[in-house]
Amino acid sequence: MHSRFYLSLLLISSLVLMMFIGMGVYREMTSEWKTYQTEYKNMLVRNAEDDAARKRAEKLEIGLRQNYVASLNKSDRCMSCHIGVENPYMAKADQPFTLHSGDYIENHPVDKFGCTICHYGQGRATNKKEAHGKGHTHWDYPIIPTKYIQSACAKCHDYKMLQEEGAELVVKGEKLFREKGCRGCHKLNGVGGDLGKALDGIGSKPRAYYAMKHVVGEHTAYNWIKQHFDDPRAIVPTSEMRVFMEEDESDLLTTYIFSIREEEMPSKYRFLKNIVTPPRDGESLYKMFCVACHGSGKISVYDEIFDRTIPAITNPPFLRSADNKTIKNIVMEGRGGTQMTSWKTTASGLKEEDVDKIVEYVASSRTYERPEPFNYLEFQTNIDSGMRLYNNRCSYCHGKEGKGGNRQLGINLKNSTVQQVLDPEFLALTIRDGREGTPMPSFGGDGLGLSDQNIADVVAYVKTFGKKK
Amino acid sequence: MDGTKQSGLVKFKDNLFTVKDSLLGSFIRSGAPTSDRSRTAIMFNNFFLHVQTVKTHINTLRPSYTLGMGLIALFLMIIAFISGIFLMVYYNPSIENAFNSVKDINFVVSGGKLMRNVHKWSGEAMIIFVLFHMTRVFYTSSYLRGREFNWLIGIVLLVLTFLLNLTGYMLPWDQLSYWALVIVANIIAAPLEMTDIMGVTKYFDIGGISKELFLGGLVPGKEALNRVYLFHIMLLPAAILIILGVHFWRIRKDGGLTRPDKFDRKDTDTTYITPPDKTGDIFPTYKTYGLMELAKGKTPAVDNDVENTVLSWPNLLIAELAVMMFTLAAVVAYSFYIDAPLKELANPAIPENPAKAPWYFLGLQELVGYSAFMGGQGIPMAALLGLALIPFLDRESEHTGIWFSNKQGLTVTIISFIVGTVGLIGTLAFTIQYGWFRNWWPNIPQIVIVMINPGTIWLGFVMIWSLATIKITGSTRMGAIALFTIFLVSYIILTYTGTVLRGPNWDFFWSQSEWPIH
Repeated sequence: MHSRFYLSLLLISSLVLMMFIGMGVYREMTSEWKTYQTEYKNMLVRNAEDDAARKRAEKLEIGLRQNYVASLNKSDRCMSCHIGVENPYMAKADQPFTLHSGDYIENHPVDKFGCTICHYGQGRATNKKEAHGKGHTHWDYPIIPTKYIQSACAKCHDYKMLQEEGAELVVKGEKLFREKGCRGCHKLNGVGGDLGKALDGIGSKPRAYYAMKHVVGEHTAYNWIKQHFDDPRAIVPTSEMRVFMEEDESDLLTTYIFSIREEEMPSKYRFLKNIVTPPRDGESLYKMFCVACHGSGKISVYDEIFDRTIPAITNPPFLRSADNKTIKNIVMEGRGGTQMTSWKTTASGLKEEDVDKIVEYVASSRTYERPEPFNYLEFQTNIDSGMRLYNNRCSYCHGKEGKGGNRQLGINLKNSTVQQVLDPEFLALTIRDGREGTPMPSFGGDGLGLSDQNIADVVAYVKTFGKKK
Repeated sequence: MDGTKQSGLVKFKDNLFTVKDSLLGSFIRSGAPTSDRSRTAIMFNNFFLHVQTVKTHINTLRPSYTLGMGLIALFLMIIAFISGIFLMVYYNPSIENAFNSVKDINFVVSGGKLMRNVHKWSGEAMIIFVLFHMTRVFYTSSYLRGREFNWLIGIVLLVLTFLLNLTGYMLPWDQLSYWALVIVANIIAAPLEMTDIMGVTKYFDIGGISKELFLGGLVPGKEALNRVYLFHIMLLPAAILIILGVHFWRIRKDGGLTRPDKFDRKDTDTTYITPPDKTGDIFPTYKTYGLMELAKGKTPAVDNDVENTVLSWPNLLIAELAVMMFTLAAVVAYSFYIDAPLKELANPAIPENPAKAPWYFLGLQELVGYSAFMGGQGIPMAALLGLALIPFLDRESEHTGIWFSNKQGLTVTIISFIVGTVGLIGTLAFTIQYGWFRNWWPNIPQIVIVMINPGTIWLGFVMIWSLATIKITGSTRMGAIALFTIFLVSYIILTYTGTVLRGPNWDFFWSQSEWPIH
């Protein structure tokens, strides 16, 4: 044989191939979970109390452990490494061998529940990095930090049971969610405001749903939500979200957020015995939908994010000039051009009776001292004079065309609420008496010197804004 | 009667004891390959070997001539087929299970991850080596002298290689698969741009219909996956096998691999051939040879076989075996270290940004950025058509078998390479820096951009460049070299641009490390 070139190529290639096949076999034989299981087995043999136990330990088979739970569609191989999770003797062992904490495992046997149904992570994976799914592993749902783990309990249990049986964090989170007014901006189950994103299934959103640019530390949904609660604008610079958090409240809310999930558990896993409907009285509803912006409603606040004043709605001067019907109209129609969205059933999902309750609650601090009526209808109005007065006195704040906004203090007068819903009487009263707690001064009588006739003219002019194109 | 019975049993006994020899003899009819005659016989008695000639020209065996590219591509295909059958055992083509089954192949199937890597990388390497093979065939003028048709078959095989890779890319049903599927479907729907311009989409929506036919619906779903799977495991492999058979058969019919007209043996040839032993059979030892004639040449051609050929067994087969082992070793070694990508489960609600086609189509995607129709279909069709027509427009067969034809050919190659590189990079840089018509005149009719965009301008330039080369050199072969060189350069540069230099929103970045963090 003389073909040295091809023969040497053949020989070298064959050797390289055999080497890599050998390395491949070796890599599989010494995989992470096999190493752990061998260590575990040695530990059992070493610590065996008697011969029988030692013999049992020696018989332990090294092999992949998998829990296939058909009804949950889960194949969890976590126990290939966390092999001592059900072994009471492993209570003091280090991870990954340690016994599951608490008594959860008694009522949630691993073979019926698997692991990832509560803990998340990638159950099919057989190495730590990909199983825990942190970092760049291309897994949508990394393992959930234990401080938020109670969010998983709420997938099956009612809040009463959660409260009594040691999952109070998610219960507190849920209460905070109702009382912080989150749904003033975020819809959930079709009910809520429109300013923020709807929160349905938010806990099931994959990592890629979130813009992680500004998240500190691990880029997970858990960190995003938590840090967004701590400082919304640090995570989303354009966010308008208003948050008022105390210490651990952001953690509690994060826990609750991850209990809002898309997937529904099979009925045999659900354990809903005492479903307590949260209270739906006026105060609760006010907190649920209004408190995030209006707070207690006693004082007007200039909000830098909204770039406008959020009016006080429960202070007596406002309630004095606005009757319940007017308030309800404003709530139902919203204030065009402001963050106040419409709360009609078709827009917000809120029932009209709930709006009534809210209005009743808001009006409850009214002193029943009605202002002196203006009797708008008795005046003969002159639109031209109204226009001159408006341009001189009102346009500085409300704009020449009544659009407001654009760093002008006044509200938009062209919006449909002002034009169609509010009656002229209310407008005239507002101009005459001003709105205490807001930049709107009193123009009537002793104040800025407009006569009632002048006011009626202005109202008539303002009412024409709606008719122009 | 008794005797006959007796002898029948004896016969049976004899047959039984000689079963080993007779069985082997029926397999290897010509006996052990110990003489030139039996080595000859083995080649034409074996179905798999007889597609090759009994004797092989020495030029064919020189590694520096073919570089083994076609063989490597073939072996890559065989490796991909075998590893593919392995994967098919575990893979489940449904959108519920596809992703999970690929995860299982990675995590719990013994050797599954390595096998998947081997399948992936051998398939993608096939693209590279089919292109390399094409390059070799082109630069040695091996598309001439009756091989014109085989060049066309080769182009069909190139397209099939692309399609096999593409369909395979979509099967894992992860984010990469899904969004590649979306992009490819949109490229298929590219005629929409033209029908929209002509205003006939309502009556003749050829783009939309093609897309729907491909996806089995309006968006990628289970029908699309089934279709792609069917193509990947059945139709395309069957097609490539049949057409590859024709490709090989034509090589044989067209007189084997090309070689220069004037062939000189070199001393180094002995490192990769075994000279004929010329004993026994057709060269019986009892024969003597007398000097009949004086012929030009250095030595009497005692050790040479007819016309510089050697027996295919063992010379060709040992070379093929070596290349096969080399290919296998290289693929396994690469697969040992580098894992085939697998991203998150496909999620129609969350587009990848940037959503990219597989790397081998990113050159096209770069062009699609200028005009969907031209980039996705017009220019690639023109390129394929240009490649296909080369043997029919250039018929200067005197250079066949010589790399780059001659010194002038090498010069044209180098100049075209430089011009192609500088020109295309310049065009891309200009477009990236200053934008295109739409950025300057927002209201310009789309038809102008379809007709005049960086892609078509480049296409036009390449055509002019080739024609100019033909005019200056007076040789169509030089024009072909200019055209092919720029085609290769363009494919590489455009692919590189689309793969590395394009980030989120298809914006320009020097590398992926500069991408904004999402």
